[in-house]
Amino acid sequence: MNIEYQNCYFDFDQRFALKAIDWQISTGEHWVITGGNGSGKSALVATLAGYGDKLSGTVSGKANRVALVSFEVQAELIERERKKDDADITDVIAVGTAVYEILAQGHSNQEIVDQLIAKFELGYLLNRPFRALSTGETRKILLIQALASEPDLLLLDEPFDGLDATTLLMLQQYLLQLSQRISIVMVLNRCDEIPSFVSHLGYMQAGQLMHKVAREDLQGSRELLQLLHLKTSGLSVPATDGTSKSALLKADQPLVRLKNIRIKYDQLTILEDFDWTINPGEHWQLSGPNGSGKTAILSLITGDHPQCYSNDILVFGYQRGNGESIWQIKQFIGYVSTALQWEYRVGTSLRNVIISGFYDSIGLYTKATDGQRKIADQWLVLLGMDDRADQSFNKLSFGDQRLLLIARAMVKHPPLLILDEPCLGLDDINRQLVLALIEKICAAGKSTVLYVNHHAEDAIAGIDQAKKITKHPSNMADV
Amino acid sequence: MSNNYFNTLTLRDQLEQLGKCRFMHLAEFTEGVDALKGKKIVVIGCGAQGLNQGLNLRDSGLDVSYTLRQAAIDEKRQSWKNATENGFTVGTYDQLIPTADVVLNLTPDKQHSSVVNEIMPLMKKDACLSYSHGFNIVEEGMKIRQDITVIMVAPKCPGTEVRAEYVRGFGVPTLIAVHEANDPQGQGLALAKAYAVGTGGHKAGVLMSSFVAEVKSDLMGEQTILCGMLQTGSLLCYDKMIEKGMDAGYASKLIQFGWEVITEALKYGGVTNMLDRLSNPDKIKAFDLAEELKGIMRPLYNKHQDDIMNGNFSSGMMADWANDDEKLLGWRAETAETAFEKMPAGDVEISEQEFFDHGILMVAMVKAGVELAFETMTAAGIIAESAYYESLHETPLIANTIARKKLYEMNATISDTAEYGCYLYNHACLPLLAEFMKNIDTDVIGKGTTNADNGVDNARLIEVNEALRSHPVEHIGGVLRGYMSDMKAII
Repeated sequence: MNIEYQNCYFDFDQRFALKAIDWQISTGEHWVITGGNGSGKSALVATLAGYGDKLSGTVSGKANRVALVSFEVQAELIERERKKDDADITDVIAVGTAVYEILAQGHSNQEIVDQLIAKFELGYLLNRPFRALSTGETRKILLIQALASEPDLLLLDEPFDGLDATTLLMLQQYLLQLSQRISIVMVLNRCDEIPSFVSHLGYMQAGQLMHKVAREDLQGSRELLQLLHLKTSGLSVPATDGTSKSALLKADQPLVRLKNIRIKYDQLTILEDFDWTINPGEHWQLSGPNGSGKTAILSLITGDHPQCYSNDILVFGYQRGNGESIWQIKQFIGYVSTALQWEYRVGTSLRNVIISGFYDSIGLYTKATDGQRKIADQWLVLLGMDDRADQSFNKLSFGDQRLLLIARAMVKHPPLLILDEPCLGLDDINRQLVLALIEKICAAGKSTVLYVNHHAEDAIAGIDQAKKITKHPSNMADV
Repeated sequence: MSNNYFNTLTLRDQLEQLGKCRFMHLAEFTEGVDALKGKKIVVIGCGAQGLNQGLNLRDSGLDVSYTLRQAAIDEKRQSWKNATENGFTVGTYDQLIPTADVVLNLTPDKQHSSVVNEIMPLMKKDACLSYSHGFNIVEEGMKIRQDITVIMVAPKCPGTEVRAEYVRGFGVPTLIAVHEANDPQGQGLALAKAYAVGTGGHKAGVLMSSFVAEVKSDLMGEQTILCGMLQTGSLLCYDKMIEKGMDAGYASKLIQFGWEVITEALKYGGVTNMLDRLSNPDKIKAFDLAEELKGIMRPLYNKHQDDIMNGNFSSGMMADWANDDEKLLGWRAETAETAFEKMPAGDVEISEQEFFDHGILMVAMVKAGVELAFETMTAAGIIAESAYYESLHETPLIANTIARKKLYEMNATISDTAEYGCYLYNHACLPLLAEFMKNIDTDVIGKGTTNADNGVDNARLIEVNEALRSHPVEHIGGVLRGYMSDMKAII
């Protein structure tokens, strides 16, 4: 398999363009494409799977069978499942497509599916509706679907993000074996994750493939990776407006007290006998394998989980289920997660996305104050997006969207800042920026931080409390 | 059984009730959910509306539980799962209705009589009963115990959207009403307002209407423009393209998805914007076709409105209910056998603009149907706001259903009331338009016009544009969409 791009220009629905791409992938080569957020990494790799309109240039050669796993594909599938939900016209709540049906779609080698299901230990969720899976679980299902399609060109866009440590190791080993037989092209934001079998590196900038180096060229590789590391010194967190909610809370009262928590669906128990108290100023890291219920716990706190009403939960002085409204709870919380990003499907401007953090809304439905606009603009400068303040949020790349949602979560300096894998999809520079911001917020002492992540190296100074959860036994069994 | 409530009113009262519809302002909702605070709300029915409204009300700090029939609980049916997995208390009618201060009846129309008869004796003295549709009260003449307050709160969007907008911090447009014959303590309006706030509706705009106006306009809209016109149009346009030798897959796709695409333009900018999507010569063509269609179909729209007003429609339908839905099921089976229904959409690319350019007749049908429905309703005493919501506003929702499900499923999933009316309309309209269709060719449906240039006569274009923009549905639509976007200001 040889694929060659000669001076190719691609258009992506007029919201993004790739320019003057010259690139050759030969049999036995494995590429990692890297670059800053919004540089076109994902777009370039997606062209190998037929995405984008080629405006000019020539592409010669192609793979027989291509498989692509990316956040965009994941979002597409989730959106498709959402559309299948006919509850709005039938008045019947739809259950959705089961995981095993998703896995059987398209070309699929059942033997490989079975083998990978066993490897990933996912047998327990085969009969569950795809829509009910956690972020990490959907990701794994897509990986299995891609691997089982027996591609001769495998495209993986950020395959390691959002995977727990065990799965990560397993996948890396699997890819190592696979790399002996097929070509693999990956998009990676983190240089510490580049697997040993990768033979070539590419660096994207502003829609162009600026640098291509062979891994053997040590000098060249080092320089390319250095491009990713820029300094993030002199950083400061923009102030908030006068509406901080901390004053409404008693200092000696826990922010959150979960007692005897149980989350259960039909036969399936996600969580049982779970207790957790978060006092003001105690910064926590929450960890556990994919599907162990991390996001469920967080959404009990934010009030987004419907079973928060059938559990013993005290948040910000409210015992849940006693006449408080969800907005009274949310005013104390800043929140970012992948689920939120999927919900945040609105065409509003970048500035308004940040301002919406003051109102805890998705989109902005209230006239913002001048002060809030000013603060939002300071955040945009910090993120290097001030020249795009009035552009539309839904046209941004995944990583850029993530940065904005982090700013949205922080903008009101909330008493409780919940960051559920905040660095997912961020390049090295922006990851450093976000980690530094979180550190500053911890140190400033106004916000208590609750942080979920899988990457040990993303530890943050100041976060010294750890809560580990394991999977509930019933959540491992086949249902 | 039934004693049509509307027919018991004097002409003066009829006109007063029909003319009730007012857009309420945010400032009228400053009391929030106070009127419902601490009251026990029991929802009957846990489908998409029932569940999602309940989730919103609970998140607004209200006490919500669900009551289901014993069998649904014993068999752990989906409705039971919906309620329990979301952490709600679930109980039988006997267990929960006697404890309820407010009962929300969110079951399908057809079940209303039996459900209401069953719960009424169980309800607390001075409690409140809420409907989301007034058919049972107005057409079936259900008499509710005199101490009970009867209100209506009807979000004008599907249940999943009611929830999604609330979670975003917004809401969906909502209609509220108080049944004046059942407002013993004068608290109906306060309760209905609090309920609308609890679902987030006040943020998107609330229309205060009456049971009568809601029923008479809702029936008219759904059987004519919404379902009837789209069904009839689908069959006629498809058959025409096949008759002219066009590819069946293309024809099927153009229609199945065409309604959705062209009514999306309607949703954003009314009939004017929908026609503005066409080239100038095509626009004039669509305008002329629509005028012709309106002339032919006006008597049919009048007949539907008359039958709805005098109760003939509902008594005919209820007779069919009593006869095991014989007519309805027969008609439904016929729909499944139509050529359009049986031909799956072809695997061809149709661009957004092509749906307009090749669907000039479809655009004309939507224009004619929306304007006729609106004109007929307002001529019958229904106020413009109601007429707008029940015609133009809801057309994209049905078009979306056709895009997803085609006609058979569209009919099976809309309410039985809408479906029955849709067939009545379709059976009358098909022969009515037979002569008109003889003169139709693929330039207005299927292939598009092949004008050598885009030239038009200035005077004629000005005349057409003026006529489009000055139609009363455009006037009220501009005002109501303006409120909506003011409230949704910055999105």
